[in-house]
Amino acid sequence: MPVTFLGVRHHSPACARLVGGTIARLRPAYVLIEGPADFNPRIGELLLGHELPIAVFSSYRDDARRHASWSPLCDYSPEWAALTAGEAAGARLRFIDLPAWHPAFEDRANRYADAELRYAEVIARLCRSFDVDNVDALWDHLFEIAPEEGLAERLDAYFDLIRGESRASDSDTAREAYMSTWVEAAAAAAGDRPVVVVTGGFHRPALVAAHARAASDRTASERAAPDDAAPGRTASDGAAPDRAAPDRGGASWAGGEPRPAEADRGWPAVPGMPDGAVGGSFLVPYSFRRLDSFDGYQSGMPSPGYYQELWESGAESAGRRLVEAVAERLRERKQPVSTADLIAARATADGLAIVRGHPVAGRTDVLDGLASALVSEALDVPLPWSSRGMLGAGSHPVVVEMVAALSGSRVGRLHPATPAPPLVHDLDAELARSGLDGIDDLDLDLARDSDRERSRTLHRVRVLGVPGFVRESGPATGLEPVLRERWTLRPSNDRLSAVIEAGAYGATLADACAAVLAERAALAGRDVDVLAGVLFDAALAGSADVSGRTLADIEATVGAAGELGTLGKMLAVVLTMWRHDRVLGTAHSGTLGAVIAAAVRRILWLAEGVHGGTAPAEPARIAALAACRDALRHAGDRLGLDPSAALEVAGRVAADVQAPPDLRGAAFGFRWALSPARPTSPIPDSAGPDPAGPDPAGPDAADVIGAAAGADDGLDPVRAVRGAFQPRGAGDWLAGLFALAREEVLHDGRVVGLLDELMSGLSAEDFLVALPALRQAFEYFPPREREAIADQVLARRGRGGGGRRLLRSADDPEVVAAGMALDDLVEAVLRREALLGAGHDRS
Amino acid sequence: MTVLEVTDPADAVQRPPAEVRFADELARLRAADTAARPPGWQLSVQAARRFVIGDPKLAVTRKFVGDPSLIDRALITLATSRGLMLVGEPGTAKSLLSELLAAAVSGASTLTIQGGAATTEDAIRYSWNYALLVAEGPSTRSLVPAPLLRGMAEGRTVRFEEITRCPLEVQDCLLSPLSDRVLAIPELTGPESMVFARDGFNIIATANTRDRGVNDMSSALKRRFNFETVFPIADFGTELTLVADEAAKLLRRSGVTAEPRRDVLEVLVTTFRELRTGETARGDSMERLSAVMSTAEAVSVAHAIGLRGWFLRGEPGTTEDLVACLAGTAAKDSPEDLAKLRRYLSQQVTWRKGDQWKALHDARHLLPG
Repeated sequence: MPVTFLGVRHHSPACARLVGGTIARLRPAYVLIEGPADFNPRIGELLLGHELPIAVFSSYRDDARRHASWSPLCDYSPEWAALTAGEAAGARLRFIDLPAWHPAFEDRANRYADAELRYAEVIARLCRSFDVDNVDALWDHLFEIAPEEGLAERLDAYFDLIRGESRASDSDTAREAYMSTWVEAAAAAAGDRPVVVVTGGFHRPALVAAHARAASDRTASERAAPDDAAPGRTASDGAAPDRAAPDRGGASWAGGEPRPAEADRGWPAVPGMPDGAVGGSFLVPYSFRRLDSFDGYQSGMPSPGYYQELWESGAESAGRRLVEAVAERLRERKQPVSTADLIAARATADGLAIVRGHPVAGRTDVLDGLASALVSEALDVPLPWSSRGMLGAGSHPVVVEMVAALSGSRVGRLHPATPAPPLVHDLDAELARSGLDGIDDLDLDLARDSDRERSRTLHRVRVLGVPGFVRESGPATGLEPVLRERWTLRPSNDRLSAVIEAGAYGATLADACAAVLAERAALAGRDVDVLAGVLFDAALAGSADVSGRTLADIEATVGAAGELGTLGKMLAVVLTMWRHDRVLGTAHSGTLGAVIAAAVRRILWLAEGVHGGTAPAEPARIAALAACRDALRHAGDRLGLDPSAALEVAGRVAADVQAPPDLRGAAFGFRWALSPARPTSPIPDSAGPDPAGPDPAGPDAADVIGAAAGADDGLDPVRAVRGAFQPRGAGDWLAGLFALAREEVLHDGRVVGLLDELMSGLSAEDFLVALPALRQAFEYFPPREREAIADQVLARRGRGGGGRRLLRSADDPEVVAAGMALDDLVEAVLRREALLGAGHDRS
Repeated sequence: MTVLEVTDPADAVQRPPAEVRFADELARLRAADTAARPPGWQLSVQAARRFVIGDPKLAVTRKFVGDPSLIDRALITLATSRGLMLVGEPGTAKSLLSELLAAAVSGASTLTIQGGAATTEDAIRYSWNYALLVAEGPSTRSLVPAPLLRGMAEGRTVRFEEITRCPLEVQDCLLSPLSDRVLAIPELTGPESMVFARDGFNIIATANTRDRGVNDMSSALKRRFNFETVFPIADFGTELTLVADEAAKLLRRSGVTAEPRRDVLEVLVTTFRELRTGETARGDSMERLSAVMSTAEAVSVAHAIGLRGWFLRGEPGTTEDLVACLAGTAAKDSPEDLAKLRRYLSQQVTWRKGDQWKALHDARHLLPG
């Protein structure tokens, strides 16, 4: 009963060829494949005749954690070759790895990621000794475009070297122990017929060693029942997959119940889910784009489009196709690609292949050739295939097209007889339960629990992009008090296909919606508006709490945001939702809290970088600082935001002569509003001229504030106002101050008095220059408070009467202006005729 | 007449050219070289590649830290009919790379044209010995060949440093040597009036991306070059090791016996990398400094830190020294950069773990201004 262990790299055409050839030659009784063992009873579903790529999608949910992962398969996957060749050879097919929900896969979204990447050091040494950039180039060099003879031996040597003496992680050890039990069971069941085991090459050395140990043990005990790897379960399942009857699979995804014992011949038990957990595995269509979009430890072989071509027609033709595809794509986009360029690309690729010792030009040879010939300027980011990562922002357009051509656009399709993904059933059930499955026009009141439930369901369906569900009106920003929603439901023929497609995101409506939102958050890049949309959709759909990974994506978007205004707008919305929103249930949500913390940090960072001299006030950026102030005030303690660091930043901005006046005023107001101790002026309402320059807080103020937030130095509003009061910038500066410290200004009468004094001192012309911005600044006070200010001014001048009168100017401004012009004219005439005494000069 | 006539290079010359510094390695590579050589080359492409990226078997040191594929592409370009243009930020070892490539391909790296605002065609192609010109008229005797003419006539690699510092019309005199591989000398008559390039001739030009837009190359000239962008060292560990080694070397030469502290260097290299890329370890984006934050600058800052610590207090340099030195390198005379640096030290340092980061934050007041 010889067991052949084939260690492969997932999604490697060379390995797939080796697997197919070996199975056809050996005609084994059993083909054991690294894949979710709980899918064994339905393994026949895989062979119905799908268009690849497809994936086995596994989902899991219990009280503590949620998990979704994929086992993608394409034409050139060794696992796929094992399935098809095994079937052709009449072998029994078994998946032998732990189910995807098992804790061993806790941090894995892609079962077929490269395990060896987690053991990077040896890879780095290998790359160094072969003088290649990264593991992908190394792999191509050693296997994909290397001669086929000796491939198996090379693979074994490669993976033995990588595995070396390094201790595998606990999760890898657990998986290997489990897979070994299957190997022994299959070896026992096969009698003297061969068994072929196809697993990731990284696991092979461990499996071979375990098999050798088992063989020596077997002489002692012939029936070594493998039971130690599946604690708490008796052997019950896994045998005899019914390939002919795949129909029962679709509905049986809910976990928790052990499957009926079909044969008790010492096959390992499939671990059952813990009580209360739901989940399962099923087939979903997949795409090259998604296959190529895993990164970090989740990533596998890149460039599915290229390797598909290599699998179908060989390396030479794949290289040629790649060049053609890139040229086509570039020409479609009106980028110049001359014949001379293509000749140069070809010549360079062939030259590189010779230098690197390749029989034909491989992936990187062709890519390097194209880059040499087509890119005729400096690159901003390194070529993506040299560093093994995602396409960075700022990639050269030629490089972007090259990567797109490598990736390919193939989309898989399931055979119609495949059981529909559970999302289809879940969605239908949810809609039926809420009475949303017919033609309808709904008017929902979000304050009512039942309507809110229905609204959530509808929003989830909308987020999944299922046609036929349109929201006509409803809350749009999270700030306005709209509590009614109108929906139009018109069932559409395209609904089923859309839901099947969305089935790859999750098994239930809620999970799938959360996954789609997570994907949108990851794709947001630097666009804060997109992110705000995602967060609002999440709130509407009732899935505001997201995974750690998505939270990291969200924080990355906020951390990369470049514009103060949009960020401030988002912060204001999110803060309101975090503080008050009991309707959508987002009050004190952890996700929003993290967004608030990140946004506060980023706004402070950006505020210090705005340099614009005397640029006019921008209400949006003032509002950003105001939102920041509110966040520190209302959420600071709870979210652990550091007010002293914020005050330090504000101190520097307020004192920065390069910063625009509105921001300086806002920063000053920020400090005033947030300082624990109210400032008191050492010189009460000084009337005499103060020599404080335009830099009232002084450059060292920041340090003092940092040491003792709220100290008086640099926080004296009288000094600050006096220093900032120049006709051109005064209104802008005051706009910032009033927006951030409105109440403080009202309560501290000195500022109003000082402003009255300073404005009276302005010449007529300066006053006109300052007027528009001053008007804008005082707009920050609501009418009632403006009246209070007017009262203060009148009282200060010893005039009676209410301030209200001052605010209600019934006269047409044009008449006033004409009157002033007439006054000026008369005065000019009087002056010309020397009829104006020196003592009568207008002040 | 090829290289500097130096009797004892190690003694007499501050920095001998690569072919002298690494003469042993080149000889070993040449002896072991069995692969086919491109016409006019001193080494095969494979051997030239090993000369640059190192070969432990022949005791050839690694001289350039970067992607091996960059070297492959550069060498293949040199073997084709297009020139090689190395572009990148200042301090990314472009000139070193061009020197190494020229030494490997032609055995000589001294046919060098230094580009600048005052570079004229005379300094590129040829000029005249005016005494002889007046006495005898134009002849090969009165002709004084410049690097381009010599490279073409002798079949060697010509280096053109900082090509974009030259005025556009001066750059364009490379057009016909690169495309037709011929240089006309109209003053001479007969066969001597045309110099045809011999096998082995090609041009390695370097250009600084900071100069982009100053004297942008004409598209005709661009088309005759393959562009290779040289990036700063991508891997943190590699850069840290390089900085530590080079700084230790410099410090020993300066008579400092204390080894630089690794944790301080880590902070230094991280700071340099983040200010250079405009992205923090957490992923926040920042504005880059306008000053050059290259690895070479990091080495010189590490050197300065060590000197300060040793000669002022008799200990290895600390993070405070780092802040003091940063002002000089990073900010130089630019108040904007100083403000950016201050902003970085006060806002992007606090969230990191580690004593040195805390010390860095506390030392932010040492920045001048």
